Amino acid sequence: MDLNFTPAQQAFRDEVRTWVRANLPADIAHKVHSALRLDKSDQQRWARILGAKGWHGYGWPKAFGGPGWDAIERHIFEEECAMAGAPRIVPFGPVMVAPVIMAFGSPEQHQRFLPGIMSGDVWWSQGYSEPGSGSDLASVKTRAERQGNQYIVNGQKTWTTLGQHGDWIFCLVRTNTECKPQAGISFLLIDMKSPGVTVRPIITLDGEHEVNEVFFDNVAVPVDNLVGQENKGWTYAKYLLGHERTNIADVNRAKRELERLKRIARDEGVYDDVRFRDQIALLEVDIVALEMMVLRVLCAEQGGKKTLEVAGLLKIRGSEIQQRYTELMMLAAGPGALPFLHEAMEAGWQGDQFAGGFPGGLVQSAPLASHYFNNRKTSIYGGSNEVQRNIVAQTLLG
Amino acid sequence: MDFDFTSEQEQLRDLVARWVQKDYGFEHRRGLIKAGGGQGIDPGTAWQALGELGLLGLAVPADFDGMDMGPVEAMVVMEELGRGLVAAPYAAAALMGAGLLRDHAPQVVQQAWLPRVADGSARIVPALQERAARHRLNVVNTQAHLGADGVWQITGTKNLVPVGGNDGVTEAYVVPARTHGAADASDGLVLFLVEASAPGVKVQSHPLQDGSRAAEVTFAAAPATLLVHDGLAALEHMADIGIAASCAEAVGAMDSLMALTVDYLNTRKQFGVVIASFQALRHRLADMKMQLELARSMSYYATLKLTAPAPERRRALAQAKVQLGQSMRFVGQQAIQLHGGIGVTDEYAAAHYFKRLTCLELTLGDTLHHLGEVSARMQDSAGVVA
Repeated sequence: MDLNFTPAQQAFRDEVRTWVRANLPADIAHKVHSALRLDKSDQQRWARILGAKGWHGYGWPKAFGGPGWDAIERHIFEEECAMAGAPRIVPFGPVMVAPVIMAFGSPEQHQRFLPGIMSGDVWWSQGYSEPGSGSDLASVKTRAERQGNQYIVNGQKTWTTLGQHGDWIFCLVRTNTECKPQAGISFLLIDMKSPGVTVRPIITLDGEHEVNEVFFDNVAVPVDNLVGQENKGWTYAKYLLGHERTNIADVNRAKRELERLKRIARDEGVYDDVRFRDQIALLEVDIVALEMMVLRVLCAEQGGKKTLEVAGLLKIRGSEIQQRYTELMMLAAGPGALPFLHEAMEAGWQGDQFAGGFPGGLVQSAPLASHYFNNRKTSIYGGSNEVQRNIVAQTLLG
Repeated sequence: MDFDFTSEQEQLRDLVARWVQKDYGFEHRRGLIKAGGGQGIDPGTAWQALGELGLLGLAVPADFDGMDMGPVEAMVVMEELGRGLVAAPYAAAALMGAGLLRDHAPQVVQQAWLPRVADGSARIVPALQERAARHRLNVVNTQAHLGADGVWQITGTKNLVPVGGNDGVTEAYVVPARTHGAADASDGLVLFLVEASAPGVKVQSHPLQDGSRAAEVTFAAAPATLLVHDGLAALEHMADIGIAASCAEAVGAMDSLMALTVDYLNTRKQFGVVIASFQALRHRLADMKMQLELARSMSYYATLKLTAPAPERRRALAQAKVQLGQSMRFVGQQAIQLHGGIGVTDEYAAAHYFKRLTCLELTLGDTLHHLGEVSARMQDSAGVVA
């Protein structure tokens, strides 16, 4: 039993760290470190920089143009990016649809779609949830009817993250209604510029436009955009769930945000308040424990072992920690977190109309309450924590 | 980076587990509680068995005829002792006492004692607790006085000393005492070795909440051997060895509680169905599993950090005890809850595991104490990989 990385892994970390710090634009890192608003051009700029290095699809095997890193190397890469202040990679293209296309798509689809994903040029969205299908995803109703050499798609997807920027969307669509729900789902790739596709914003409680509804009104989709076999889409969707179990815990970002929490607490004069400091200490213990759990799962996966019972805990705990640090940051600012100034979350805001700069507090407090509100989503998405607990209990009780 | 056990470590685990399964069942332990009466469980037979298994010299270097094994081996043994609810001062003597001599005592003391620790003819346990100190290691009222004959004399009272049985084994205590200075001063704190049979030593045993034996040991000008002059650092190191051992023992105990609880949920029927079908109970079980795996993760962390430089080690062990304390309390309480009425009976094992976990939480610093330690030792960055 050993807590240390190998010399080769250390060298890999140094290589990644050097490259990231040299190539991550300073203005983007500043926004990330201060939790200011990132726009599409910020995220796509970073995606393209990674893409040019061949690291946007950082989990891809060499056969498909990826770096072919193992589980621990991927974790080290994620950690160095997070600590440097790199934006979270928008996962829908490089992390979610690409592995499905690689595993189940045709060689023609590999050629058509993978380069654009790796380069960062093509922005992908996920078309899974529907108004009537959240936790019960298999009940999706968006219909794809085969007509000659195309599918005609009708229906609606919801909670489509950053769908307003999407070029393409991968959808779970219903191709058979005469069977068990899971057995009638197909995995279809749809060009969002197709006639009949409409994107409507959903404004979240923090006032941001992050998610959307996507309507499909007689959208014609070439049959060549079906991945794998008709009615096998649920299998492909579950394949995705078996992937990337440690990433969802987001522990690297948690470590970075813990550092930020301490800075905020100091700036607000509560770091030396015993009661507040103890809350930070409790969170620190939680983060160390989560990191240990992530490393255990990583090492087991690296060794080809199954870790279902422990891996299932990572999303629950990771999301609770994300909620806790956003909560503590807001509490550190106290009443100074209350002003809601939409513009103050842009980089470079000055606030000349107020006598004391940011009303009631420090300008760095501007995003704190918004992030606390926004992060209530983490225990809901990706399989709600209640559903996750059902799964954990099932592995224990048989 | 690796969290697997070697095949030798797995064999060591099996060695202890098989003995527990064969000779230390729950009914046997209940019998020991009854037989112990007002003194607490006599750990004599368990101690002898552990000796026959060759485990007493685990932490003693080969130079002193020991097994020369490391913290991971110690952790594996402690997990099995916890799983089996074994009441014996193994961690106190074989890990803490032996570890202190191995790491900090003068050669002449090591030579005189460690071979006997390894062969089981001597047992050295820490005598740490003083009423005024609560969980603080640096608060010591016991006094040390150098006599005209050049022999140190110790006067004071230590509580909750994990004594062995009346088994003919030579027993001695590691006793922190003050040569000078205020009760909480960091210098003037010296570690001494006092034999149980020395003049002026009185041992009054009693049970702890979990049935195990502890003693109030009073020293009245008892003759002592000086172990470590600058005692606080060595004391903290020994305490950290004990904390890591407690974490491992707790993981084994919680594993047992989980297994008992799963079995009960799948067996007990009410309203015509097994109660395992009730979602509220399923979610509670998932929460118990969460706490257990967080605890196991931090138990590994504690063991692996025992060899780190002292400030890093102290911080890591404090973090581990905070996690373990929370986990122990949650798993213990909820295991009782999920068992319904039988959970609060003496005749069923769950309550005994819960009581053992509670004793572990309150020893070597409870959760709030170590939260204070984490808080005091907080740096800008934190993490396993910082």
